[in-house]
Amino acid sequence: MSLAKTLRKIAAFFWRDFAIARGYRGALILETLEALFGVATFFYLSRFVESPEIQRALPAGTDYFAFALVGFAFFDYLSVALSAFDASIDEARQNRTLEALLVTQTPLPVILAGSAVYPFTVMALRTCVYLAWGALFFGFAPRAANWSGAFAVMAASVLSFAGLGILSASYSVLFKRGNPAKWVVLGVSGLVAGLMYPVSVLPPWLQFVARLIPVTYSLQGMRAALLAGARWGEIWPSVGALLLFAAVLLPISFGVFAWALRRTRVTGTLTHI
Amino acid sequence: MAKKETGLPEANSVITRWMPEPAIRLDGVEKYFPPTPSGWRALLQPFLKPTQRALAGVSFEVARGEAVALVGSNGAGKSTLLRVLATLLLPTRGRAKVGGFDVERDAARARQQFGYHTGGDEGFYGRLTARDNLAFFAAMNNITGPLARERIAQVAEWMGLGSDLGRPVRTLSTGMTHRLNLARALLHSPGILLLDEPTRSLDVLAARDFRRLLKDSLVKRHGTTLLFASHTLTEIEQIADRVVLLEKGHLVACDSVRGLIAATGTATLEAAIAKRIGARKHGLVGEDPLP
Repeated sequence: MSLAKTLRKIAAFFWRDFAIARGYRGALILETLEALFGVATFFYLSRFVESPEIQRALPAGTDYFAFALVGFAFFDYLSVALSAFDASIDEARQNRTLEALLVTQTPLPVILAGSAVYPFTVMALRTCVYLAWGALFFGFAPRAANWSGAFAVMAASVLSFAGLGILSASYSVLFKRGNPAKWVVLGVSGLVAGLMYPVSVLPPWLQFVARLIPVTYSLQGMRAALLAGARWGEIWPSVGALLLFAAVLLPISFGVFAWALRRTRVTGTLTHI
Repeated sequence: MAKKETGLPEANSVITRWMPEPAIRLDGVEKYFPPTPSGWRALLQPFLKPTQRALAGVSFEVARGEAVALVGSNGAGKSTLLRVLATLLLPTRGRAKVGGFDVERDAARARQQFGYHTGGDEGFYGRLTARDNLAFFAAMNNITGPLARERIAQVAEWMGLGSDLGRPVRTLSTGMTHRLNLARALLHSPGILLLDEPTRSLDVLAARDFRRLLKDSLVKRHGTTLLFASHTLTEIEQIADRVVLLEKGHLVACDSVRGLIAATGTATLEAAIAKRIGARKHGLVGEDPLP
């Protein structure tokens, strides 16, 4: 299939999801306000916990609010990335569109990629909303930010998170309900990846675990780009690690997903809810 | 000529016209499903050995431009067989080909050959209009732009959907959604149609019109091959060149309606089916052992 055809199909998925979401404008407004409440909570929490000890543990030139805001915004991104694929599969199963899609002339990887484009785009916008609320009302000021570096970290994060998301969708295809793998990834990442505190405050063995998780590099690179205005040379190790995760996780996840789908074609449980 | 009338590329029909093979071929197709345990054992279900038989060595062919009805009791294996041909299920043993392409080894190319009607009024995005739904599935079948608009207008007219194309699918009646489902199967002008109870939710007149569309326009004029499951005897008699009778996964008979009636010495198709299935149920036809 040509690239042009693939892009047209991915665009069709995006417009499908956009058209559906347009029907829920109220939810969109509420989510934007919810982000404001989240940011406000972090702001007052950061004022409460601000201390010389914490300040010393943070990267240079960073206050705790900015540190936690970036962590909070991008951890949310990971949780959506992990859910995007299995949510789209689950929804397609619920509204019975999965079979209709699978008998079209669209290969499975394109169906998966297309289903994730809209949630990833919305989540990127939501992340911007978090940061914008912080900048508008709570003094978050990424004046020295390296925006192109932040974009590169974001793009590399999308690829590596997508691998985890597709693995999670494979579980959903096989077992339908519950997804322990997703919650393990989210739980471990929340603990060790440096969401609310720097990885450096963890015991060495947990710091080692943190190095095995893509979100650690995502948060590290994003904070460096947004808060410290790091140059490309400083951001590149994080981007490189994320691309390495993507290079390993994406082929494995596509293989596992194809195997899971094949099993459902053997068992006849593809559309079971 | 077909291109002028449908406005669609001729690729699929050219492939089916010149292919030396029949449109559909099944060689000893068997399908077994694993048991469905309850409780925590349900987690093992994807890995259990398939032991429950749904199709038992079914073999037959459907020639290009032929209309064949799949007939049988509930659970006879009709839908399973259609789902194997639609590449949604893998056969446990045997081979199935659609348009000359193996449904297991060459599924992507097999999918280019057929339109599949899922047998229900589901499978759409309720908040989108009927037109948006058709446009989305047209795009998934590589039909976009003016060609997609033209094709959507045409299938909508065929299915009597014209004035309802702008309505969200969730506001359509069951029958209208069913028509939309059929319209989707016809969108990419497939050379082969696999239909599971195609007129189940249609009103009497819509069902009559749809049968005419199938037989007169698609099968006779365009040479479309049709394999459909049905419980409606008038539909079978009006459309089918041949009847494939299934019972508990076994092929019991494969003959024309007249041939079936003559072979059973009965007066009607209903009596012929009853006699054949009755013979099977009473063990007059040999039962295959489980593997």
